[in-house]
Amino acid sequence: MRLGATSDAGARGLLDPDSPVRRHYEELAGNLLRMGGTGSVVVTSPEPGTGRTSICLGLGAALAGMGRRAAVVDCNLENSQLHRMLGEPNFVGLTSGLDDSKPLEHFGYEVIPGLLVVPTGPILLDPVSLLEDEGIPKAVRGLQKSRDLVLLDAPVAARVLRSPNLLGGFDGVLLVVHASRTLKSVARETTDDLLEAGANLLGVVLNGCS
Amino acid sequence: MTSTSGRGWRGRARDDPSLSEILYVLQRRRLLVVGVVLVLAGIALLFGIFREPVYTAEAKVSVRPQEELDGEEAMLAFLEEVRGAVVTQEMLSEVRRRAGWEAEPKAFSERLDPRTVANTDGGPGLQIRFLGNEPGQAALAANAYAELFVEGVEDLRDRPLADGVPVAEAVVEQRAVPGDYSPRPLIYAAIAAGTGLLIGGAAALILEGRASGWRGVRDVELTLRVQVLGTIPDYSSKKTEG
Repeated sequence: MRLGATSDAGARGLLDPDSPVRRHYEELAGNLLRMGGTGSVVVTSPEPGTGRTSICLGLGAALAGMGRRAAVVDCNLENSQLHRMLGEPNFVGLTSGLDDSKPLEHFGYEVIPGLLVVPTGPILLDPVSLLEDEGIPKAVRGLQKSRDLVLLDAPVAARVLRSPNLLGGFDGVLLVVHASRTLKSVARETTDDLLEAGANLLGVVLNGCS
Repeated sequence: MTSTSGRGWRGRARDDPSLSEILYVLQRRRLLVVGVVLVLAGIALLFGIFREPVYTAEAKVSVRPQEELDGEEAMLAFLEEVRGAVVTQEMLSEVRRRAGWEAEPKAFSERLDPRTVANTDGGPGLQIRFLGNEPGQAALAANAYAELFVEGVEDLRDRPLADGVPVAEAVVEQRAVPGDYSPRPLIYAAIAAGTGLLIGGAAALILEGRASGWRGVRDVELTLRVQVLGTIPDYSSKKTEG
């Protein structure tokens, strides 16, 4: 495990197999696996602050705990959170693997056995145009060869809707809704927009419920 | 949690809220809905109980021309002409006197409602309706109008009207009897309760749309019509959010 010295206690909790929330993530993982054909899932939300990164880490850790090989790739190029949450540097990551030189697996690290984490990596170009790079789906497909499930920690849904790569380039979309922060009207509108745009909306995760 | 057997979610038409969603919202906001219903029904009930009672009395007069009239239009024109010739301020003053009306003449006119109608035999007739505070007064006023109208027609007999058709006779076909009590507090309350249900229901739907609190899986599924794959309880130690 490579959790850095500044690692957030929340990340530790999400990765800890004895965490009280683990069984909830295992239930989520089980439901996702039962759907079948979900090798790569874009995790988005109607607004910031709903806990997408936590969901990705918790879900990935649960999958790893269930004996699956999972990966979390930070696609939130404008506001990357994954490495911060883990207290790790962001010297290499997704953007480093877009030039086809090495597989994406090479630019990530396993935070627990079976769970690979790939941060965004350095963002030297416009993040919006980077998201449209054909290299992202290609790199993720390459990662799927060695991983049962790749979770893409994506930006908010409004950004996903403007990105053909994120909207349709992967197997499905998982929407995270926060129980006390997400307005119902906003969540409804986002759901409608995603479905109208043709996204394969796998389902919703209700985060932060009492 | 909804079955996860299918791939993705392709829900039914999403434009309008479904009945189950509406019922769920009403159930959740039942205090609001019931409150609005009770307040409106209560106000209507009190209004019905405490407002001045109004009784309706109705009399009918038939008027026969000496010549056969062609069509309903001609019949109504004839009757209007008879009314114009018979109903005068003096006649109305006499009606008020016979009815024992002591208040303003204007208030009397507001309660008096004479209408041109077709009688059971198809001939022209007049229906006189009066709303009184007492049943006897209402009947008295309607009958006084009917009797004075007949008397006025008697005076017109054999005098051709403007269109040349003289009146044969006018009779009181139906005398007014003390009528029904108009205000029905329970009916008012029921109407108000129905209105309250609509207003309360609309308010509940609007509030629900603006709410940010989700009460669990069923709430999410009914609101978003998307299956919930997982619920994660509040994990207070997490600080960095994506």
